[in-house]
Amino acid sequence: MATRIGVDIGGTFTDLVFFDEDTGQTREGKLPTVPSAPEQGVLNAVREFVPPEIIAKADYFLHGTTVGLNALLERRGAKVGMVCTKGFRDVLEIRRGDRAEMYNLFWQQPEPLVPRYLRLELDERILFDGTVHRPLDEAAVVSLVKQFNAEGVDSLAICFMNAYANPAHELRAAELLREHGFTGDISMSHKVSREYREYERFSTTAIDAFVRTRMSSYLQRLEEGLVGMGFNGRCLIARSGSGSMTFAEAGERPFETIMSGPVGGAQGGSEIARSLDIDALITADVGGTSFDTALILDGQAQVLFEGEVAGMPVQSAWVDVRSIGSGGGSVAYKDIGGLLRVGPRSSGAVPGPACYGKGGTEPTTTDAAAHLGMLGPGKLASGIQLDFAASEKAIGDVAQQIGKDVLDTAVGIMRIATSSMANAMREITVEQGLDPRSMALLPFGGAGPMFAILLADELQISKIIVPPLAGNFSAWGLLGADMVQSAALTRIMPLNEESLGETDKVLAELFSELDARGEISDPALERLANLDLRYVGQEHGPSIPVPLAGSKLAASSAEIRSLFEEDYLRTYGSTMEFDVEIVAIRATNRIPLPRREHAAPPVQAGAQSTWPAYSFSRGEYIDFDVIDRSSIGDEISGPVIITESTTTLYVDADWSVRAGSKGELVLTRGAAKK
Amino acid sequence: MKTYDPIVHEAASGAVKETHADPITTEVVRHALNSAANQMKHALMRTAFSPVIYEVLDFAVALYDKDVRLLAQAPSLPMFMGTLDFCIREAVTNVGGVEALEPGDVLLYNWPYGTGSHPQDVAMVMPVFDDEAGLIGYTAIKGHWLDIGAKDVYCTDTVDVFQEGTVFPGVKLCARGEIVRDIYRMVVANSRIPKMVEGDMNATIVAVRAGGIALKRVFQRFGAETFWPCVEEMYNHGERVVRQYFESIPDGTYVGEGILDNNGVQDHPIPFEVTLKVEGSQVTLDYSNSPPAQGGPINCPVPSTLSASRVAISMLAGFGEPPNEGMFRALTVITRPNTLFHPLPPAPCYLYGWPALQAIEVIYNAVSKAVPDAVPACSGGCILGISYSGWREGSGEPWADGAPHPVGQGAWNGGDGGTMLHIAESATRFTPLEVWEQRDPWITERMELAQDSCGPGQYRGGPGIDFEFRFTEQINMTAAIERAHNAPWGLAGGGEARPNGASLKYADGRQRDFSKVTRLAVPSDAVFTLRTGGGGGYGPSNERDVERVKADLRNGYISEAYAKKHYPHAF
Repeated sequence: MATRIGVDIGGTFTDLVFFDEDTGQTREGKLPTVPSAPEQGVLNAVREFVPPEIIAKADYFLHGTTVGLNALLERRGAKVGMVCTKGFRDVLEIRRGDRAEMYNLFWQQPEPLVPRYLRLELDERILFDGTVHRPLDEAAVVSLVKQFNAEGVDSLAICFMNAYANPAHELRAAELLREHGFTGDISMSHKVSREYREYERFSTTAIDAFVRTRMSSYLQRLEEGLVGMGFNGRCLIARSGSGSMTFAEAGERPFETIMSGPVGGAQGGSEIARSLDIDALITADVGGTSFDTALILDGQAQVLFEGEVAGMPVQSAWVDVRSIGSGGGSVAYKDIGGLLRVGPRSSGAVPGPACYGKGGTEPTTTDAAAHLGMLGPGKLASGIQLDFAASEKAIGDVAQQIGKDVLDTAVGIMRIATSSMANAMREITVEQGLDPRSMALLPFGGAGPMFAILLADELQISKIIVPPLAGNFSAWGLLGADMVQSAALTRIMPLNEESLGETDKVLAELFSELDARGEISDPALERLANLDLRYVGQEHGPSIPVPLAGSKLAASSAEIRSLFEEDYLRTYGSTMEFDVEIVAIRATNRIPLPRREHAAPPVQAGAQSTWPAYSFSRGEYIDFDVIDRSSIGDEISGPVIITESTTTLYVDADWSVRAGSKGELVLTRGAAKK
Repeated sequence: MKTYDPIVHEAASGAVKETHADPITTEVVRHALNSAANQMKHALMRTAFSPVIYEVLDFAVALYDKDVRLLAQAPSLPMFMGTLDFCIREAVTNVGGVEALEPGDVLLYNWPYGTGSHPQDVAMVMPVFDDEAGLIGYTAIKGHWLDIGAKDVYCTDTVDVFQEGTVFPGVKLCARGEIVRDIYRMVVANSRIPKMVEGDMNATIVAVRAGGIALKRVFQRFGAETFWPCVEEMYNHGERVVRQYFESIPDGTYVGEGILDNNGVQDHPIPFEVTLKVEGSQVTLDYSNSPPAQGGPINCPVPSTLSASRVAISMLAGFGEPPNEGMFRALTVITRPNTLFHPLPPAPCYLYGWPALQAIEVIYNAVSKAVPDAVPACSGGCILGISYSGWREGSGEPWADGAPHPVGQGAWNGGDGGTMLHIAESATRFTPLEVWEQRDPWITERMELAQDSCGPGQYRGGPGIDFEFRFTEQINMTAAIERAHNAPWGLAGGGEARPNGASLKYADGRQRDFSKVTRLAVPSDAVFTLRTGGGGGYGPSNERDVERVKADLRNGYISEAYAKKHYPHAF
């Protein structure tokens, strides 16, 4: 337990959720985002929705933000200079030589975050094994400082070749830059990541230098504001790689938060899976412009170790959330060859779907759903009254172009959007050697519950869990974000007993580095480790969790090999007789937040009406019951439309729904058993 | 030498069928097929052993229907995309035809005149069966295997195909789901690096099977009565998209001109031309005027001639969509047997890809004569394929590695060129230097954008790159570089860029320049310099925006002397 407040800043709304341990209840609120001063939006939301006594007794404030991401997307950050190994100042610009759009002859690479004239060189060279090939030219540093200062550079990224294997030159260069009078922030590639692949590491370091000042001052202002309102708990921010970190640490390592946008949902999914004891869960987070899906296995989201943001790689842990441009606002149109297409272009917040009556004239998936009656009689919580005539007109235009009637076109828009989402879900499961049919589906986000049945039918899934506060679930998920720190080191060696001794030494170093990062000493601290393994000769391999006793390995090399082979067999269907090697060693500190006890809210009597909506299973309009979510208790049969403040759940005929024990709704195929 | 009449190839297979499939279900099916191809690609990349597969992406994975028409191809090597249909047809014919196929079979095929490639590019084909419908299609992968016993690990000097590697003429590697051990052992036994080849062969089997399962799922989800009409409509859609583009190009005959440095064996330039004929929405690419087949390995077998044509056309007219068979229907290709673009056995064709790359640039050169701003100027024009092999000091283990390198891209009306791999390898990434240093015996001394290497113009080309590698053990090196003697051209008044080049400097100070060389024995401590070409400029350079000139100077992309020479108006 422990009272906590979560605030998630999105592009349009700032969502707030708080949990009160005395009542066991979770409450929500929503305010428009303040793009010019996001922290004000957060503080406003806290002031508006959270009673002062809750603020005062709350133990945690958990935050999800796109402040860093937006700084990158809009290129509003520090003026960054880069200090490079002589001969390698263009790593950042040459990239890996590929094109993001492979069939586009005119594709242009993104402008590097640091322009060439601010990428200066120092003579030095470390080799792959950490030995010094050429010493650092210490005397040259003074002229670099002069140049950077003359250009008005705010912060520096030091990016030396093979610094992951030996950071001595980066450390010394930073020391000398300071000595000679550089006063801005300094990021070093080995601090950001101890993994190989120079472009990916340098890109991450440049991002770190670019957003750091902005991020740390933002977090500081926010924390001061909260303290001013009487909060005296711990401030945490969501990490891209799941879990959360302290504001202080995030100010030092802002790149770890940069892809945290979709993580709240995956985090919440993990908590739900654990609390309901579901082995395999797949999430479907449908927002206005994008669809995100993640796999939750044994209560854990899957973590990868390299991501990409705004066309730039980030060498940092991130939750494997696949994103495609498909959502409630995705626009339907006829393409030049005559097919009906949906997305990736979105109508955005303005003008939005035609049925929102804010001037939109193009048909979106929300218009199709509205036309089909899936959103109910049309009074949305946000105060919008659906304009059905506008939807019909917008869909009608496209229907005419493809030679179909409005109904067929609306159904088609929903089917196309559903199929592209389902493909993304199929890929993420099949890649792991798993079958989506045996999984439970967790829909959330404003438009997730609208698509839930369609996705389940497409993927032949027979169980759907609609979480509490489904429309605000990312913020809900934040409340369960354990505190996590992680570090990794590339160290390629054969998997044998001798290497395990070496691994223990590396783990000891990594854990002490983690412990040194922050204030954290908590009796609940758990230490975890992963080894990235592969067959000798392969490049890619799985990252396998290995058992620890304290901070040392508690498995033999034979045991670790069989863990690897188990994973490989599941994913690819066979194993090989080749030797296995260790590629990287990963250490994680985790401090679980006190568990929330989820209680189902009492069932309330509510008004019930009927409303004609399209049934996909019957292929015609039929009468649906319309019920408020709070009135659902015992199992009832579809067709039914269930409304709640931030989303609408569509339950077709041949499905039934009941309230679960933890505040969730459970949908299963077939009529209610009575 | 016997002369032949030209042969006309329709670039797409199968008859056009009108369908009334609805535009909605068709879009759903199209998505599902592209997704299935992606699943197959992912399985290959994650399990492959050779960096040429998992990093360089020197492979193509695709799904075909039962009539061998391209259903979907995952983003992989575009140059292979037009060749897998040939591989399937030939492999199937050679094992006894469709009747001889059984569920679980996997065929192995690499005869160059049927794959379009050198023998190292091995095709694996799996027929896909549905319990009720029988044969519904094929999954196919053509990938570069690092060594299958050619005269060298990579060659630029072969004089016939039998020096180029072991031939698998279409054999069953798996029969009814079981690996045929005899064939498997033959493959492994014919490689200098058996472990890597064995690993990649297993990875490819995993991937064709994964693709087969995925294709079958899509088919079964929709059922034959929905699936087939939608597939026909998907092709018709692809065709309409491409035809709309060519409607906008004025009718006429346009000749694109190109030149190859040499044929790898004899050192004389080889000029060639490709004629583009546009009539309404129909496009013909005529290679029949090509020079005779060469005595060195730069002959391009027909499947790759078609592929180069398909790549050039679909990149231009496909509106960024992943390709399917319908996109090729507007295209006809004409070749003449026994010429550079239609060699006959046993003409050597190890470097088939190099004339194919030049052909793509030459096709764009022809298009530019119709509509100058429809295409970019010439790029560095080569992939600069360098391969290395040897035995590691100490362990004695055999090893091999290889990679393409980025070049400057041509400018176009509205944009400066960037620096990336040739468009024919547009999804490929080159290897991180730190990864190379972990696994191979060299130190990279330098990798930087080369000053003044870009073609000047109102829009300038992309700069080339200077690489310097110092070897720490004795190794063998093969270099396959084109456009070392012929600078990339500019368009619409834009200037030429720096051509490609390479040299080796020995520890004693001697230096040697080369562009194509096989198994050059390189002693430890020698330094290899690779200079990749720039992109040509677009438009007159005196119209370049002064601010852009100043920015280029400040960033060091150009020197002051270069700026004063090409952009005097900026001073």
